[in-house]
Amino acid sequence: MPTVTIHPTGEVIYLEPGETVLSGLYKAGFAYTVGCRRGGCAICKVDCRSGQFRYDHPVADTVLTEDEHLDGTCLTCRAVPDTDITIELRGENVRLVNTFLHMINDKARQRAEANAAARLMAGTTPKEQ
Amino acid sequence: MAVMRLGYAHVRVTDLAEAKDHYANTMGLYETLSEGNKVYYKAWDEWDHHSVVLEEGGVGLVKYGWKVQYSSDIDEIEKKAQTFGVTVERMSKGENPEIGDGIRFTTPSDHVFEIYHEATLIGTEVGTHNPDAFPRHLVGVGVPALDHSLITAEDPGMMDRFLSDVFGFYATERVQTSLDDDADIIATWMTNSIQIHQLAVLAGPQGKLHHFAFRLADWTEVGRAADLFSMDDVPIDIGPTRHGITRGQTVYFFDPSGNRNEVFSGGYLAYPDRPMHVWTPDALGKGVFYHARELNDAFTSVLT
Ligand code: FES
Repeated sequence: MPTVTIHPTGEVIYLEPGETVLSGLYKAGFAYTVGCRRGGCAICKVDCRSGQFRYDHPVADTVLTEDEHLDGTCLTCRAVPDTDITIELRGENVRLVNTFLHMINDKARQRAEANAAARLMAGTTPKEQ
Repeated sequence: MAVMRLGYAHVRVTDLAEAKDHYANTMGLYETLSEGNKVYYKAWDEWDHHSVVLEEGGVGLVKYGWKVQYSSDIDEIEKKAQTFGVTVERMSKGENPEIGDGIRFTTPSDHVFEIYHEATLIGTEVGTHNPDAFPRHLVGVGVPALDHSLITAEDPGMMDRFLSDVFGFYATERVQTSLDDDADIIATWMTNSIQIHQLAVLAGPQGKLHHFAFRLADWTEVGRAADLFSMDDVPIDIGPTRHGITRGQTVYFFDPSGNRNEVFSGGYLAYPDRPMHVWTPDALGKGVFYHARELNDAFTSVLT
């Protein structure tokens, strides 16, 4: 499953399938400035430095311009990663507000990594299983 | 009295099905018409055909409708708007379903206003003959009526003048850069009745919507609304809390497209001769959020 790496702190967050970047950050105990959490207000934008994502809802032209669909702008409350992605926040850092969630998310990530390594050793890909 | 009230708020939504679920099942509005990509609603204690219109495609405000008391008020407002320097166009019956002839113009703040006198009368859900206090089978919050709205404009002072000159509104409260006579207006709360505000204007970008609000009776209902928002996974922006400005009790929250809504109760009665409340920026935190007394940056920058 995709992970979100936060540049430059290097935090790695594990996402459930279909989960948005914002929801993943919340579920890993992190917070930063957000508004509507519904793709309407544009305040949750970050820059995607690598990786692919798509939006789980139509996004209004007033929220994301044509250029912003191409230049790596990522509306986190609606963005669902297809691959591992690296994001950089604009002018602020994420704040860890719930250490318990952070612990749980970290364990989930370690489990996913161990599973992936085991599959690699066995010479299979998830699709072949 | 020319303008009686904010008749309708017409907003864009990104996903009509989700929006319908919010406005019908969480807010408890009654759908009165569905036509193409638009849905029309009224609240239980409103009698006209609609007060909220949802249009699929985007987010933010399409326009407001203002209902006037007499049809001659339309001509008067037209003249005053033209004198102010605004281009007015005629709107004919049926351009908005169940709404009569009127005028349409874009305000100096780049918001579209429609002025009308006739709307199809549906009647309140409790009727007029020995009516009960409320409908027995309210859904969700069960809001009784649309109340007011807040928009942003680059020059709130200009909008204050516009609403005074053209609508005959007066300011009940203002936020000013200082208490000096030549201070700039940062925000203004305006009405022409005893309702504490019908439209407020805050300094910000042109043509944007901050929120539109539904009326509730008291603190208890505001608290219950907040409970329901948690049950329905509605993102709460702020509250329940009180405003210093207007003294109203409030919860701000977002619809599924990110348009900010409010439930609002209380406040005091407005009169034109009541001395206006003036707030300075150092007290703005308390003015907006009376308990937290701290303004968060998202409150003034999150707009649709
Ligand atoms: S929080 Fe409003 S668009 Fe994401």
